[in-house]
Amino acid sequence: MKSLNDITGSVKKNLIWKSIFRRDYRNTVRDRAQAVFGNVFLHLHPVQVRESAVKLRFTWGMGGITFFAFIILVITGVVLMFYYHPSIDQAYTDIKDLEFQVPFGVILRNLHRWGAHFMVIVVMIHMFRVFMTGSYKAPRQFNWGIGVILLVMTFLLSFTGYLTPWDQLGFWAITVGTNMGAATPLLGYQGPFSEYLHITPYNDVRFALLGGAQVGGNALLRSYIWHCVAIPLFATILMFVHFWRVRKDGGISKPQK
Amino acid sequence: MANENKNNSSYRVYVFVFFSVLLLALSVWVVWDDEFGLRPWKKYQEDYKALKQDKLEKDYRRAVVDFQRAGGHKKLAELEAKLSKAEAAFQSKENQDKYTKLNSQFEAAHDVLTKSQKELRDLRGQFLETEYYYTKTQQPEYKAKMDVLQRSIDAVGLRVAAQQKVEESIKGSLSALTAGTAGIRAEIENMKNGLEEKKEKIANNGKFPIEIKQIHIKDIDKADRCQSCHIGIDGKSQVSNKQPFTRHPASFVYLDHHDPAKFGCTFCHRGQGRATTSAEKAHGNVKHWDEPMLQGDMTQTSCLNCHGDIKNLRGAESIIKSTELIKKYGCYSCHKIPGYETVGDVGPVLTQVGTKVNYSWAINWLLDPKKYFATARMPKFYFTQDQAESIADYLFSMSGTTRHDVDNTKNKPDAKLIEEGKALWAQSRCNLCHATGGRGGNNTKVYAPDLSKVGSKVNKEWMFNWIKNPNAYFPGTKMPRFRFTDEQINSLVAYITTEYQDEEAEYKYVQPAEIKPASIAKGKDLIQKYGCYGCHKLQGMEDMVQVAPSLKKQGVTFLRNTEMREKIGMELSSIGSKPVEMLDFGKLKKAIPNDRLSYIKQKLRDPRGYRLGLRMPNFRLAESEINELASVLYGFTDANVPTRFLVPSRQELDRMAGVSSYKFTGDFAKVIADVKCTNCHSIRGIGADYAPDLSIAGSKLQEGWIRNFLANPDVIRPLLQQMPKLGLTSGKPPAKVTMPKFNLGKQKVEDTNRSDVDVVINFFQQELVTSDIPKVLPQLKGTTQDELIAKGKQLYDLKGCKACHQVGTDGGALGPNLTNVGNRLTQGFIFKHLENARKFKPDIVEPNYGFTEAERIYLTNFLMTLKLSAK
Amino acid sequence: MNPFIEIITQPDNIAIVIMVFMVTFFMVWAFQQAFQNDRLLAAGLPVDGENDRFVDTFKPLVRIELIIAIVVMVGLTIWSIAVDAPLEEIANPTITPNPAKAPWYFLGLQELLVYFDPWLAGVVLPSLIVVGLLAIPYIDINPKGNGYYTFSERKYAVIIFSFGFFVLWLLLIVIGVFFRGPGWLWYWPWQEWDHSRVVFEPTRDLTALIGIDSRSLPGFIIGALVVGSYMVGGMIAPYRYWKKNNPELLTQLGMVRYVTIVFLFITMMAIPIKMVLRLVFLIKYVWITPWFSV
Repeated sequence: MKSLNDITGSVKKNLIWKSIFRRDYRNTVRDRAQAVFGNVFLHLHPVQVRESAVKLRFTWGMGGITFFAFIILVITGVVLMFYYHPSIDQAYTDIKDLEFQVPFGVILRNLHRWGAHFMVIVVMIHMFRVFMTGSYKAPRQFNWGIGVILLVMTFLLSFTGYLTPWDQLGFWAITVGTNMGAATPLLGYQGPFSEYLHITPYNDVRFALLGGAQVGGNALLRSYIWHCVAIPLFATILMFVHFWRVRKDGGISKPQK
Repeated sequence: MANENKNNSSYRVYVFVFFSVLLLALSVWVVWDDEFGLRPWKKYQEDYKALKQDKLEKDYRRAVVDFQRAGGHKKLAELEAKLSKAEAAFQSKENQDKYTKLNSQFEAAHDVLTKSQKELRDLRGQFLETEYYYTKTQQPEYKAKMDVLQRSIDAVGLRVAAQQKVEESIKGSLSALTAGTAGIRAEIENMKNGLEEKKEKIANNGKFPIEIKQIHIKDIDKADRCQSCHIGIDGKSQVSNKQPFTRHPASFVYLDHHDPAKFGCTFCHRGQGRATTSAEKAHGNVKHWDEPMLQGDMTQTSCLNCHGDIKNLRGAESIIKSTELIKKYGCYSCHKIPGYETVGDVGPVLTQVGTKVNYSWAINWLLDPKKYFATARMPKFYFTQDQAESIADYLFSMSGTTRHDVDNTKNKPDAKLIEEGKALWAQSRCNLCHATGGRGGNNTKVYAPDLSKVGSKVNKEWMFNWIKNPNAYFPGTKMPRFRFTDEQINSLVAYITTEYQDEEAEYKYVQPAEIKPASIAKGKDLIQKYGCYGCHKLQGMEDMVQVAPSLKKQGVTFLRNTEMREKIGMELSSIGSKPVEMLDFGKLKKAIPNDRLSYIKQKLRDPRGYRLGLRMPNFRLAESEINELASVLYGFTDANVPTRFLVPSRQELDRMAGVSSYKFTGDFAKVIADVKCTNCHSIRGIGADYAPDLSIAGSKLQEGWIRNFLANPDVIRPLLQQMPKLGLTSGKPPAKVTMPKFNLGKQKVEDTNRSDVDVVINFFQQELVTSDIPKVLPQLKGTTQDELIAKGKQLYDLKGCKACHQVGTDGGALGPNLTNVGNRLTQGFIFKHLENARKFKPDIVEPNYGFTEAERIYLTNFLMTLKLSAK
Repeated sequence: MNPFIEIITQPDNIAIVIMVFMVTFFMVWAFQQAFQNDRLLAAGLPVDGENDRFVDTFKPLVRIELIIAIVVMVGLTIWSIAVDAPLEEIANPTITPNPAKAPWYFLGLQELLVYFDPWLAGVVLPSLIVVGLLAIPYIDINPKGNGYYTFSERKYAVIIFSFGFFVLWLLLIVIGVFFRGPGWLWYWPWQEWDHSRVVFEPTRDLTALIGIDSRSLPGFIIGALVVGSYMVGGMIAPYRYWKKNNPELLTQLGMVRYVTIVFLFITMMAIPIKMVLRLVFLIKYVWITPWFSV
C-alpha cells in the first residue's frame, strides 16, 4: 500500500502531471471550488448548487441528457461522414457498406439513428418539465424562447438526416414533409394567394428547400449540408446562449412565492 | 444529516459500478460482434484454408508414393553417386589449380570492366548535360565539347566491348570446368522439382490473407463480395464439394466465357453482392431486397440479359427449352415481348371458320378446348354457354353461314377408297407432325393439331380444299401442299373422316338454325374484350389495335420493333425486375410468398386468381411448364447492361453490318411456300433443326442422289436416330423418321415452265454451296487411281472406321451407313469433312484423326467407290 | 404474426413505444409532485425545494451527471445492439409506398391533413404552435407556481398546455404511427393492413346540411358567417365573462395580451372542433372561398 502511495505521489510530482492539473486536490473548500471553475468543461456550473439540482426528481436530468445525446450524435455523425458521399449514386450503397464493410459501421449507424430519436423524445420531455415547474417565468422568459427554437432545430436536424440514406423510407418521408411546403400561403405554388405572386413549382418555397421541383440529387446535397453543417452550427451557438442564460438567470429555478 | 448523505452516496456508488461494468461488457460485446459476429466469412476462409491444406498434403503424399513407385529414389541415389564421383574428379589438384587461376583471372577482368563501364556512364552523363546547355544557349563551345565527349564515348565503348568479350571467354572456360557436376546437379533438381513445387504450395497455402474479396465493376457499380465466403468458386481444382467451398459448376462454360473479374457474380445470379454479414442477406432472401439469388438452372434466365439469340448457346439449354414455350403458347400475341413481335399467328385463321367446323364442336371447343384433345394449346376463357354461343355466332356469321353441323358418319365411303387413303396417310408421314391418339407428332417445332377426332370437327368439303391447297385458306400455314391428285385427296379425306371420329360428338344443329343479330353484337364485344384477334386472324379485325402489357425492356432492346402495336395484356418487358411493391397480390397477399417469382408462377397457375375483373385465360399449364415459363419471364429485366456485355443476335449483327437477312427468292421461294421445307430443315439460318441443315447441301450432295431421294425418301442414318434407346434423352418414343413424300416433279411451278424438282435442284446447286468445299480433289503425282483406292481401303481398316460406320452389313452403328456414300456425297465434301468434321456440324461425334492431305485423298477416293449398284 | 406486434416492432416504431412509456412515466411523476406540493401549499408549508441548502458542485453534481451519462450510454448501446436501423429499398420516385408517412414527430401534422387543407395543417398551424410556445412566458402573467410543480395555483395554464402537448401533439403522433394504414385509413391494432381496402365515406360541406351549395354565393356567405362568428364570438365571450366576474384580470392582461391569448386558444380549440365535425358529422369544409377552404 505504501509503495502505491509512493507511485501516485511521484506521479503527482511529475512535471507533466502538474502542468495539466496545476495543483493537488486535497478536498478542501478551496479545492472543490477550484475543481469547478478551473475546468473549462465544468465551469458552466456554479461552485455550489442547490440540493434540488442534485436530486433527480426536480429536473429529471433532461436538459443534460439532451446535451449528452447531442454530443453522442456529433461524434458518431462525424465518423459516419468519413464513409458517406451525398450523391444519389453512392449514398445508398455507402449506407449498405456501413453494415457490410466498415469496422463498427453497424453500431455507429444504430447509435446515430437511435440517438437521434432519443434526443427528440428527451427534448420534448425537457420542455414539459420546464413548463410544469413554471421555470419559464421571470426572469427566464427569454431562455424559454431559446429553448423553443432549439426544439425546432432538433426536429429539423432529425428531419434532414432522414433523407441521407437515400432509401424509400427517407425519400418518401421527405417528399411528404416538403410537399406541405408547397402549400405555404403566398409562397408555395399550391398555397392560397400564390397565383398573385406568380408562384410556380419552380420558384416556390419547396423548390428552395429541395433545390428542385422533386426530391433528387440537389435535395440530398442540401439536406446533407443542413444536417451536417448549418443546423448543428446554429444549434451549438444557441446552446451556448441557452446554458449561459441558465447560469445568469440564477441556475436551476427555485420556488419563488 | 451527514449519515444520510453517506448512505445516499454509497448507493450511488453501486449504481455507478453496476452501470460502468455493464457499459464495459457491452463494449466488449460490440468489439467481439464486429470482429466475428458480423464477419462470418473469416471462419469460412479459415475452413477453406484447412481443407486446402489437407488436399495439398494428400497430393504431396501421393506424389511421393508415385515417385518412389516409379523408381525415383533408386535413380536419385544413382545420380547422387555419380555426382560425388564428378565432385571428386573436380577436387583433384590439377583441376583445382586451374579453377583458382581462372577465378582470379575472371575477377581481374571483371574489375577492369566495371571501371570502364563507370567511365562510360560518366561520359554519357556529361554529354547529356552539355547537350542540354547547347540546346538552350546554342553556343558553339558546347557543341565543340559535345564532339570531344562523343569521341571519348566511342573510344571507351569499344574498350568496354573488348573487355566484355575477355570476361565472357574466361567465364566459358570456368563453366566448362564445372560442367560435369552442374549437369548432374540440374538433373537431380529436375527430378525433385515436382515434389518441391508441391511442398512450396503447402507452405504458401497458409499465407493467403483473410480478407473481404471483392469484384468491383465500375460502370454498373457492382461490388460483389461473394467470394469472401465462396472462396474456391473460381479455383482450378475442387477442394470440397460442400458450400460455400465448391467450384463453380461447369465453369468451362460459364466462368471461362464470363471472366468473373469483368462480370462479377450478381450480374447473372442476382442477390445482394455487397452483403457480407450473413448468407440470407448476401443471397438477398431478406425484406427490402427485391432480388433473391438465382440458383441452378434458374440462373440461365440471366442469359437473356445479354444474348440476343440464345439458339445453340452452350450452357443455356434449360432456358432455350423454356423459351420454346413462349412460342408454343404465343404469349407475345397479347403481351409485348421484344423479339417476339408478330401477332395473329398462333392460332388458325378464323375468317372462314364457319365453312370449316361444326357449330356444336365450336361451342364445346370454346367452353373447354382440352376436353376435345388434351394437348390443345388454346386456353380456357371460362366462357358461359351463352357467351360461347355468342362468339360462335359472330364467327359463323362473319363466314356467311349459320348455326349448322355436318355429320360425316352418315354416308360411309367405299372401303377400297379408305384403304387407299390409309396407304397415302402413311406414305405422306402425316403422323410426323400430327398426332393421333398419342401416336406421332414427333416434330414438336411445328405445332400441328391432334387429328384423332377431326372427323367430327370439320366437314369433308373443307378438308378436301384444305389438303389441295392449304395456303388458299390460311396463307402462311405450316401445312405443306403435297401435290396429290384429286383422287388421292378424296381417298385421304375418306380415310380421315371415317378413321378419326369422336364417339362422344353430338350434333345439335344438323338442321341449320338462324343467328340472332343481338348475339352477334355480343359476340363481337366478347372477342374484343378478350382479344381473340391476338392469336387468330379474324375477319374485320385484321387491323385491330392490340391491347396488352409487355414482358421485356432491356437486354435485346435493339430488337424492339418500332412498329410494334399495343397488345391486350400487360407489358412484360421488365416483369423480371419489376419492384415487388408494384405487383398486385390482391386477395392472395397473405396466401403466397410476396416475391416476384411466386407472383409470376401463381399468375400462370391461376391467371384470374388475384382479383376480380382479370381477363387472362387459363392455359392449364403443367407445373413443370409453369416453372419453365416463369424462369423465362424472370429474365425479362430492365437491368443495367453495359453495351460491352451485349451479344447481339445474328440478325442484329447482319442489320448493323447492313446485310439484309437471308430470304428465299425466285422460283424456289414459290416451292418452299408450298412444301414448307423449313418446317424440318434449316436453310441458311431459317427453319427448324428437326432434320439436317441444308445450307451447304449443294456442295455436299450429288444431284442424282437428291433427285432420287426426293422421289423416294429413305432412311439415311436409322441407328443414329435410335440413340434415345440409351436413355440419354427423354421425350417422345422414336419413330422411323424419314421425310414425307411430297410428290415433287409432277407439277410445274406456277408462272414458269420448270418442274418443281428442277427448281429445287437448281437452287441447291446455285445457292446452297460454299467455297470451302472444292469441286475436285488436289492431284497426287505418281499414283494411279487404283493405288489411291487401295491405300484408302488400307487406311479405312487401319483407323477402325468400321467401328462406327457400316458398309454393307459389316461395321458399327454409331455413324451413318456408308454403303452408298459414293452416290450420295460429293468428293469435295468428304475430303473437307475428313479434315475437320466439326467445321460443318459443330456437335458431331466423329473424332478428328488429324489426317494428312494425302491420307484424305486416299480415303476420299476409296469412299467414292462405295456405291449401291443401281437397281 | 399479430398485426399489432408487427407494427410496434418495426425498428423506427420502437422509438415511439419508448416515447409512450417515457412520456407516461414523466407525466405521472410530474403530476404526483404537483399534487404533493399542492397539499403542502394548502397546509401553508414550504414546497419541495423551497428551503434548499447549497451543496458543492464538485463532486455531488458532477458525480450524478457522470452516472446519468453512463446510464444513457448503456441504454442507447443496448438499443443499438438489439435493433438495427432500418434501410429499405433504394429510393425510387416511381413507387409510392402506401402509406407514405412523414418522420414520426411530424405525423401529428400529417394526421391534421385529414381535417385541414395542407396550407393550414402543414404551414399555418405549425407556425402558430411555435409562435404560441414562444409567447407562453409573455402571456402567462400568473406570478405563482414559479420554480416548483403545482397544479392548483395554475390550473388553466397546466390544463391547456397538457391538452395541447399530450392530446394534440403526442396522441396524434401515436395515432399516425399505429392506427393509420394504407390509404391513411384507420386500422385498429388487431386489424390487418389491407392494401386493397376501400372505404366509402361521403363527406359534405357544412352548408350542404341546410341544403345550400357551399360553392355558391349564399354558401360562401354562410360559411364566412360561421367562421367569422366563431372567431369574433370567441374573442368577445371571454371578455364579457371576465368583465363581469374578474375585471381586475383584464386590466392586468391589457389589450394586446388578451387578444393574443384568446386568438391562440380559439385557434387551438378549432382543431378538436373540426375533428369532431369531420369524424362525427362527415363535414369536409366549413367555408369555401375561391382562394382557400377552411
